[in-house]
Amino acid sequence: MPNEHPLEEPGRTSRTIDPCVIVIFGATGDLTTRKLAPALYNLGRDGLLPPNFACVGFARRPKTHQLFREECKEGISSYSRTQPVDELFWNNFQEEIFYHCSEFDSDEGYQRLAIFLKQIDARHATRGNRIYYLSVQPKYFSLIIEKLKKHGLVYDTHATSSRWSRVVIEKPFGHDLKSALALQSNISNNLEEDQTYRIDHYLGKETVQNLLVFRFANSIFEALWNYKHIDHVQITVAEDIGIGTRGHFFEEEGLLRDIVQNHMMQLLSLVAMEPPASLSARAIRDEKVKALQCIRPFKSSDFEEAIIRGQYGPGFINGQNVLGYRQEKDVLPKSNIETFVALRLFIDNWRWGGVPFYLRGGKRLPKRGTEIAIIFKDAPGILFQQAGKAPSPNVLALRIQPDEGISLKINCKVPGPSSPIQPVKMDFRYGSYFGQSAPEAYERLIWDCIVGDTTLFARADEVEQSWTILDPILHHWAAHAPKDFPNYAAGSWGPESADAMIEKDGRHWRIL
Amino acid sequence: MTIQQIVDPDRIEPELIKIWEALAHKNTMRASLFNLIVFNRLSRRTDYFRNIVQKVVEKFPCRTLFITSDPDAAQSHLKTAITVVFPKADESLACDQIDIGVAGEAHKRVPFLILPHITPDLPVYLLWTEDPSKSNPLFAPLAKWATRIIFDSECADDLHAYAKTILKLKKKLNLDIADLNWARTEGWRDLFASTFDTEERLASLHAAKTLKIVYNRRETEFFCHLKIQSMYLLGWLSSRLGWKCMKQSKNLHFEFRDKKSSIHASIESDLWQKLGAGTILSVDLKTADGIHFEGSRIPEQYHHVKILISSNTSCELPYHFVLGQTATGQSLVQEICRCGTSEHYLAALTQLENFL
Repeated sequence: MPNEHPLEEPGRTSRTIDPCVIVIFGATGDLTTRKLAPALYNLGRDGLLPPNFACVGFARRPKTHQLFREECKEGISSYSRTQPVDELFWNNFQEEIFYHCSEFDSDEGYQRLAIFLKQIDARHATRGNRIYYLSVQPKYFSLIIEKLKKHGLVYDTHATSSRWSRVVIEKPFGHDLKSALALQSNISNNLEEDQTYRIDHYLGKETVQNLLVFRFANSIFEALWNYKHIDHVQITVAEDIGIGTRGHFFEEEGLLRDIVQNHMMQLLSLVAMEPPASLSARAIRDEKVKALQCIRPFKSSDFEEAIIRGQYGPGFINGQNVLGYRQEKDVLPKSNIETFVALRLFIDNWRWGGVPFYLRGGKRLPKRGTEIAIIFKDAPGILFQQAGKAPSPNVLALRIQPDEGISLKINCKVPGPSSPIQPVKMDFRYGSYFGQSAPEAYERLIWDCIVGDTTLFARADEVEQSWTILDPILHHWAAHAPKDFPNYAAGSWGPESADAMIEKDGRHWRIL
Repeated sequence: MTIQQIVDPDRIEPELIKIWEALAHKNTMRASLFNLIVFNRLSRRTDYFRNIVQKVVEKFPCRTLFITSDPDAAQSHLKTAITVVFPKADESLACDQIDIGVAGEAHKRVPFLILPHITPDLPVYLLWTEDPSKSNPLFAPLAKWATRIIFDSECADDLHAYAKTILKLKKKLNLDIADLNWARTEGWRDLFASTFDTEERLASLHAAKTLKIVYNRRETEFFCHLKIQSMYLLGWLSSRLGWKCMKQSKNLHFEFRDKKSSIHASIESDLWQKLGAGTILSVDLKTADGIHFEGSRIPEQYHHVKILISSNTSCELPYHFVLGQTATGQSLVQEICRCGTSEHYLAALTQLENFL
């Protein structure tokens, strides 16, 4: 948790929220329209923004404040979880939204920004506190941070404690280990680690946050959370959509960088980590890094046996024809970029010795769904064998999205005189239990950034460790072009080689 | 009560959610014990399968994906509908049914359409109502997701090819397999097991000289391969007793041999208008040591079998054996409850494969 405050009673007092200005770089982009503007609107509407607050959109296109406000409102109307737009609230809220036009590399633009922010401070009493949200292409990260530092827009934390400045960086954080280290080195020259908020929106999801609660606030599960009781773990991040308008981006990145390096490794570390000493950001992130450090490095044989890549060809989603990846807009007709990845890895520590973790992520899979499934070991097959088979194993499935919840598969006797055993599901659904829509991930993460809580943001060593694990795969793939792309039909659960990989271990992928 | 709605394929889940949200005030529980995928060709039997699925749902609420393939449609199509079925009058619980009507080229879309609608973590039962020995491009992709495949050998024009295919599938897919016709003979198998339950009786059975099985030749629009249940019973009995088929004739006369002697078996028919087509009516068995065993259904009480056992010197008092429920759909309900593949069934198929 953030620094203790002598006047706050933990668990009872709402945290003091400092006044601040949030500057969104790349404010005319999709992320602002779809996520950031609705998140700020909902935070404001729920009374979670500081009373003295302002938002400045920073982008290259000339635009008036009023036009930017209208665009934000359109985004909120289309994408906010709360509908319709509360006009009364909006009329006041929009007065706190501004637009600043500048190139990202223009010193003059940053000088004007500094003056403009001071004017906002004077008008809105925002006291010089700043959040810079970099919703831009990764190539601009270093440039913008350098300019911010050069023009005194980020503060030396050693020189001042009366005001703060924080920089939120969107993924991808680097393209590989080398570039991630280079980016980090650049950031370190200009920012302290506690000023850097590397965002992975998965960590803002309620269900992901609940993982820690689930594991460490319930004694029955943690006692079973180890190699003695768990057969294997499956983590799936499935999307039914293709790449849409992100052809250029995806051709550069591919699925390993887009999903595995960040979202999946974050989920993996939360599942595998040891109990933290406290709920402080440092303690939690320390444990996550330790878990990542224990991942067994891939051997050369793993590139064939335990790492599968795929690319979708034409197929059907919801009964409708969809294009193959190579036919998508802005994609090379002979592209070798992966849209599917399946991995098997091991965490060589006391808790997880010998337990395989199967990770599977892909585009154009049959349905959208993110899930962590803990598959327990079979009960001793002495009793209740049916036709020579033991009852199916217990499965604890943590559904991250959609239909957020937790289910536990258990075996039950079918009512009646004979005793056939049938697996049944105990199902907890957030939506039906709590009866309210959970805040969007971006709401939580922006709020955490405002209050200075870094728990749900990736630390530099987490990112580095994640790249260290996956970098050999990128190198291997770069040197060995796939021979069978496209190797799965859109709307299927990925290439047959992914099935073969897990079936060779006597297991199978779950149906989501 | 049912709530039914025709929907576009991409609206299946959203529209189901809407229906369930509308039902929230009734506190109806959304129940599902398993996924039941039914594949059938549009024919006279479609209604029969709908009926038996209804029986299953009444007993075990489940998510049903009912695929009806229309081979005669002039144009390719893919039509989908959703139904919320209330198995009980008090509407305390209900379950989902997704209907898929398909013809022509659209068949290749079906596996992709099914996949997102399978409820995770619950068994997937595939009721494949077509002859598996005839190639069908939908079989492999649907079988891939199945925990258990339930066939109905009633659809088999050639029982030999059917037996061969099932045995091959069992080996290749390593799946649990069941057969509705096999389930329909369960009462008779139980009857044999309980009648010949002592060492002495079993020794008599091993000394069998003649065996006659009589089935009901009443054809209906749903059943036309009437001898299959009798063949299953013969296959089962001969495999259990270690008989080897030496000879057979087209009029269903068989010569078997075991270690000691030869056995003559025959399958004959009779016509009972009020009893299910193809059901076994009676079994008559004579042994070398003079034991005569007769089991015949009672016309007024179809699921009762009157058993007469006599020898050269004595005659036991007749008694009734109850074959169990014979209601439509009961065999499917029965097979749903089971787990694994019956070893006796596989042995009977192996026997049929050899002697047909």
